[in-house]
Amino acid sequence: MSGTAGRRLALVVLQNAPLIAFVVVLVIFASLSDRFLTLGNFTNIVTQSSHIAIMAIGITFVLLTAGIDLSVGAVMYVGVAILALYLGDLPVVVSFPLVALIGLALGAVNGFFVVQMRGLHPFIITLAMLFILRGAALWMTDTRMVFVAEPIMSLGRTSYLGVPWAIWMFAAVFALAWIVLRETPFGRQVYAVGQDPVAAGKAGINVPLVLFAVYCICGLCAALGGLVSIAQVAAASSTFGFQKEFPVIAAAVLGGTSLFGGRGGVIGTVFGAILIQTVENGLVMTNANLHHRW
Amino acid sequence: MRKIEPRVSRRSFTVGALLAAGTAGLPIMVKAQEGKTVALLFDSLVSPFWVSGIEIMRAEAAERGWETLEAISDFDDNRQFEQVRAMIEREVDGILIIQTDANAVIPAIRAANEAGIPMVHFNRPPAESDAYSVAIQADNRKIMQDTVQFLVDEAKAMGGTYKACILIGDLGDVNAIQRRDGFFDIVDQHPDLIEVVARVSTEWNADKAFAGLTNALQANPDINFLVTSSDFLHPQIEQALKIAGKWHPRGEEGHVLFGGFDGDEGAYQRLIDGYLDACGVQNLFLEVDMAFGAFEDLWAGKQVDKLLLDPGFVITAANLEEVRDQMWGYIVWQQQQ
Repeated sequence: MSGTAGRRLALVVLQNAPLIAFVVVLVIFASLSDRFLTLGNFTNIVTQSSHIAIMAIGITFVLLTAGIDLSVGAVMYVGVAILALYLGDLPVVVSFPLVALIGLALGAVNGFFVVQMRGLHPFIITLAMLFILRGAALWMTDTRMVFVAEPIMSLGRTSYLGVPWAIWMFAAVFALAWIVLRETPFGRQVYAVGQDPVAAGKAGINVPLVLFAVYCICGLCAALGGLVSIAQVAAASSTFGFQKEFPVIAAAVLGGTSLFGGRGGVIGTVFGAILIQTVENGLVMTNANLHHRW
Repeated sequence: MRKIEPRVSRRSFTVGALLAAGTAGLPIMVKAQEGKTVALLFDSLVSPFWVSGIEIMRAEAAERGWETLEAISDFDDNRQFEQVRAMIEREVDGILIIQTDANAVIPAIRAANEAGIPMVHFNRPPAESDAYSVAIQADNRKIMQDTVQFLVDEAKAMGGTYKACILIGDLGDVNAIQRRDGFFDIVDQHPDLIEVVARVSTEWNADKAFAGLTNALQANPDINFLVTSSDFLHPQIEQALKIAGKWHPRGEEGHVLFGGFDGDEGAYQRLIDGYLDACGVQNLFLEVDMAFGAFEDLWAGKQVDKLLLDPGFVITAANLEEVRDQMWGYIVWQQQQ
């Protein structure tokens, strides 16, 4: 093999590293468990990935503008705490949109400060929000476990056309996000701001408005992720959403979204979220002993 | 001007004062432990066990005339160490601590030792060290052995073979390790009856417990023997079993033999509903009593063993009415009713 061909091959491998890792993971777990590569298990993996994927789709918008949002886990906890403590008696069709609006509003707070305090990196602003919101949620819940009403738990067990509710929710968010990013002027503006905000501004794009909007979307998706998660797990302890920002950001980055902005997309993000859950699923499917007994 | 003679001479005042102090000292000695201030340092109130624990402690402290200062570290070892330092600065008389990590708490014990303030660990002992403190702990391994033994006896009585799944707690928590070991102590003796097909690592996290159990049920739809290392995971277990179509009470076909640990109000409800077969109960009342008794002994200068064990007990449908008064979850359940 010539040097040029070798370099090309290396480049192809590097560009497709997540896909190759995914295939390797599939092959390993499929060889260890005959129930791993089944439709039922795939549905299971996607269901469990749903809340991470929804949140990761939200953060993808932020990452595309070269920003970051560390408060997503705290936003999901605040939303669910309010749902369990104050909105429990309302029907789901009312309480869920209210929680989504709360997420949107919290994202707007992030966006406001990111736009107004341009000298301060979003890392600092959203880190501060993480602590403020987690503190607020712990104060509201008195650090105790909170339970959601039975209709919400039933929703978590519901399937339409054989597909779990969580996957429908995830699919809707994904489809909307994909259309927004690929088919609308706003989507192209997000990429442009991420590539070069100065040039984007000179081209007539309202950069502050785009930045504000992506944090709103991220907050909204964090709240939606929280709703999908709580409908599955039925109760939220003080660890709910704790350090969720790590798998969420990891899913987006694994899927090819650049931390420096301007590159990536929601298809890769979804793939990243599923890859993470596939590993966790495979470890249980193969009965891996995570606590080795010495 | 008339000279006023003192009615009490210096000599008689001194004698009188000494006598008065001696007389007053009798009740003071008796009541020496009233007016004590004890710090209650929790790492969270994440489960009903801890919520009930702190409430029992408050009530018990009030009954003894003690004041309590409370702080929660939210699973942050560094924050808890700062809380210990703050309590030492406030010159509390004793520190009751529930640490997250058995090793990370050792500097805090040393700090309390240096300040001469007794430290009692509630429910979780620290790692081995030369620092002195007293730990109150449930006999996790024995309680779990007894719980699983009951399930094994039930399994034998019903016949057939069993596929088992265990939800394991956090690796840094010695309680989780001991409960896991208690589980395997018994099931390993019955390889022909029980095959352990899934060990779910929960890290005491409800999300992980739900996802892990769902994965386990996907891999092994015939799981019919389930043990959780803590009752606070019951809502997630119920949800996962309902999704898998395996949530049936005793006597119904498809019932999963289900064992719990802690003894909370949810466990009591599920016992009477027939979904839970056995629950290893930590005697929370006894543990609080032992912890506060340890403080009193330490203040009195007595030597106290470094580890005091709560033997706990197993509650089942068969002995429910007999032992439920000792089950803290039953008291909470009664209040909720």
